[in-house]
Amino acid sequence: MEQELLDLLVEHFQDRIAGSVKSDKRVEIFTSTSAIEDVLMYAKNVLGYIHLVHFSCVDWIEENEFELMYAIFSPKSKITIMSKVRVDRENPVAPNIDYIWRHANTFEREIREMFGIEFTGLIAEKEMILEDWIEMPPMRRDFDTAEYAKKTFFDRPGREDAQDVRETIIKRTGEELPEFSKKYSR
Amino acid sequence: MKQDRSTTLYLGPQHPGITGNMMIKLQLEGDTIVKATTHVGYLHRGFEKLIERRNWLQSFTILCRMCVPEPDPNEENYARAVEQIEGREVPERAKYIRVLVLELARLASLLLWYAGQPGSAGLYTMGQWSVGDRNYILDLFEELTGGRIYHMYIWPGGVRRDLPEGFGDRVLKVMDYLEKRWKDYDRLMFDNAIFQKRAKGVGIINPKKAREWGVVGPPLRGCGIKSDVRIDEPYEVYDKLDFQVPDMYKDGDVWSRALVRRFEFLQSISIVRQVIEKMPQGPVFNKIPNPHKWVVPKGDALVKTETVRGESAFYVVSDGSNKPRRVHLKGPAYIHGFTLLEDVLVGANLADVSFIMNSLGTCPPEMER
Repeated sequence: MEQELLDLLVEHFQDRIAGSVKSDKRVEIFTSTSAIEDVLMYAKNVLGYIHLVHFSCVDWIEENEFELMYAIFSPKSKITIMSKVRVDRENPVAPNIDYIWRHANTFEREIREMFGIEFTGLIAEKEMILEDWIEMPPMRRDFDTAEYAKKTFFDRPGREDAQDVRETIIKRTGEELPEFSKKYSR
Repeated sequence: MKQDRSTTLYLGPQHPGITGNMMIKLQLEGDTIVKATTHVGYLHRGFEKLIERRNWLQSFTILCRMCVPEPDPNEENYARAVEQIEGREVPERAKYIRVLVLELARLASLLLWYAGQPGSAGLYTMGQWSVGDRNYILDLFEELTGGRIYHMYIWPGGVRRDLPEGFGDRVLKVMDYLEKRWKDYDRLMFDNAIFQKRAKGVGIINPKKAREWGVVGPPLRGCGIKSDVRIDEPYEVYDKLDFQVPDMYKDGDVWSRALVRRFEFLQSISIVRQVIEKMPQGPVFNKIPNPHKWVVPKGDALVKTETVRGESAFYVVSDGSNKPRRVHLKGPAYIHGFTLLEDVLVGANLADVSFIMNSLGTCPPEMER
């Protein structure tokens, strides 16, 4: 059944999509930002994939790309299609799909704020969770959380000399750190 | 100067009627809402970012805190996602224990709803009863896992330890008690004229629009649409258990949603009894590697669970290292608390805001994570 669905999609969109059967009840397809709206509209209106289950974003910084994942579900076939789109990290723009599913608006707002991806035509308040944020979008892999915390917050009185517990123990006892814990030490 | 009859009212972030720290900006004409906008950001703890810096097992302490009233589905979801990516097997007995924990968590969460829903209409006795009864379930959790609210009991490869001696009997005793109490709840809450008047015809969701708005769980079933992840995509051992999903309440209002939950309360009790009866003997976990050296192969998984409030979905991505690349939760409140709530509140009375929020199951810790 999953293979039939995949064949149907590939037949309709030809070389605009590629995909595979991921596992039981999961079909994975790869497409582009220019085709994703057509794929989702076709899946929803013709094939009956009427429920948007999930809409997520992953930062693949090594490949200089973001990956958007749209998961859609059909109550009839009980299959979930995971459509994946790669977006350039330097100029991240993707199409807005909140006219297909109303709640996609919330996902897009969060992804815009947390990853800095612009959705063309998205009408929503700019700020969602963060307030007066001027730094890099915080869910990007190169956002340095420790550095930001150091810059923004101050130590509680009495905590200025906050030490690394492991280092302090070594200094006091002269014990060697186990190999695995070295990378967790500052 | 242009005359404007409307008033702006900020409901929250600290308000007894709101289900957590969030704010709704209401535009009112008299006491009728003409526009509602959800504002979050008061409870953002950056859990998803924190998880990226922790190893696969350390994430559990964070995951369960993503939703306070119902932490167990998150643990189960994440564990199942890791198992799917790794191809790790789970013993049969562990699957039964997982369902037992999930259903007990469902009952505990339903009992909290039994307190919140009538409580927001001014019927406070119900809350005293149901929160008191919830303690019997929390006692069971304490005995089983060591924690009352957050358990970290379900993990990849099974569950942490086996059931204590005689635990099944104690569970059954609590189930018998809750079944008896269910009739008392009916008399106090559902037979109450005030509750009926407040709930009927309020907070209506259009069944034709429900799917387009992404509605899940009791609000969707309250529109007469039969949809439940436990039936649609059975996980763990739900395909071996006998239970019903209600589709007879079709009005889409608070009253329908309340009836759906009332129905599901008994179904959960029945599932717990079946689990205790059918649970096989055997091991309860497959060994996992040393957590510090545990590397999960590159891949991703999308898993779903039916929580009390509806379908919850986890997207877990591994880049082949000892830490998750991305763990993204879409809880039911993420859908119900923003676009749906904003739509449903229009035309409602100011006094019904928290009443409607309770029926939709908005949960701010899950909305911003």
